[in-house]
Amino acid sequence: MNDDQVNELLSKGVRDYNQPGHVPREEMWARIQAERSRQEVHAPSVARRSTSRAWMWPSAGIAAALLIAAGIGIGRRLERSSAAVVVAPVGRTAAAPSALDSSVVVAPEPNGDPTASVIGKLRHASQANDVHAREVVAASPSSSGGRTGLSQNPNPNLAYQLVVLQHLAGTEAMITSFQASAKRGVTDTLMLGWSRQLLSTTRMLAASPASADPTMKRLLQDLDLVLTEIVQYSASGTNNPDELNLIEQSINQRSVISKLRSTIPGRIPSAGT
Amino acid sequence: MLTENPRLLDRQLVHRCLAGDTLAERALYDAHVDRVYRLMHRMAGDPDLAADFTQDTFIRAFSRLDQFRGEASLSTWLHAIAVSVALNGMRQVKRIRGRTENIDDVPELAAPASGFTADLKAKLHSAVDALSEKLRPVFVMHDVEGFTHEEIGGTLGIPAGTSKARLFDARAKLRLALAAFAGDHIA
Repeated sequence: MNDDQVNELLSKGVRDYNQPGHVPREEMWARIQAERSRQEVHAPSVARRSTSRAWMWPSAGIAAALLIAAGIGIGRRLERSSAAVVVAPVGRTAAAPSALDSSVVVAPEPNGDPTASVIGKLRHASQANDVHAREVVAASPSSSGGRTGLSQNPNPNLAYQLVVLQHLAGTEAMITSFQASAKRGVTDTLMLGWSRQLLSTTRMLAASPASADPTMKRLLQDLDLVLTEIVQYSASGTNNPDELNLIEQSINQRSVISKLRSTIPGRIPSAGT
Repeated sequence: MLTENPRLLDRQLVHRCLAGDTLAERALYDAHVDRVYRLMHRMAGDPDLAADFTQDTFIRAFSRLDQFRGEASLSTWLHAIAVSVALNGMRQVKRIRGRTENIDDVPELAAPASGFTADLKAKLHSAVDALSEKLRPVFVMHDVEGFTHEEIGGTLGIPAGTSKARLFDARAKLRLALAAFAGDHIA
């Protein structure tokens, strides 16, 4: 049999390879619309509000700056407290927090697990921040065609720039929390919701002018991958060491944590780091 | 008045979508969903996965529509997203299923019982499943779905010549996988 005959045989043999049947057009369209509505639930009202109230930007910037500082502070604190959990007897509180992040005092949980308490507070802070980030990004000039990257625009909108950093700080906190929880064999629906929200915001940012900056674009792509893996791992509801190892590899191979820390101004004095 | 230029039609459709025209969004979906779904099904081999990948493709496409520059056709741009979604999704599925088989591990089939063609086809399909991530999309798109090398190149972000080379490699691997089974028939 010559090459042409073999190719013809191959061609005939694969014609019904994974043969598709009926295309569920309407079902898919309904789900697409539902998902898009869910993603855009905050955008329209904020867009209208922000375009008519330019004076709100400075205050939003200041609020975002404070939230970033708090996010970075609690993110760094989580690492310390997670380490402390390993050596401290159950029920002991971690080190006293600084004045700025006093809102995230590590109080012991009823079951004596201070790490769970820290993660819970981190989650609340991050999710609240992320909602704000989405609102500001949705209302920013990005949606109307501005194509400037964060590092390329000599006079970027402060609030916009800050919420991007704020989102990154929240993502760092989430990944660190996930690692701490997963190592203890704990995955829950709260972690799933947190990671899903961050993934959604990451994709929103990836479609914004933030991704015009090549470095930021790569970071957002890396975060998309890692957060997708975390969402799927959390959604599975199982504690599979192999899966966890693959996620760790993704985080390490892409240097996600170090990239986040080099992007976030982690040495803000008031952040207590 | 609409022009006949397909690229311009694409851009007009995208422009209307970006302006919030829901009818345009539906028109874009209707124009491309069948072909995207077919490719997703060929890649995934499962109707539920194919639907998931197709939905994800359009959700991503709509959210990134402002990034469409019109340098490639809208179809090529959509299929690029679709292939990316499918490859990432299949990686996850393989991890979950723990499927690590490669082309050398394709299980031997029992002796032909219902005729040469059926067994050869089953073997061939298993061998296609086991092609690498670089070769399988090219083979499926070209030999199964009838894409041109130019379309494949635009979708995968590779030159058409690379697409041809990958198709050649894929066919060579499939021929090798089938040789042991079919013996003298294709040796």
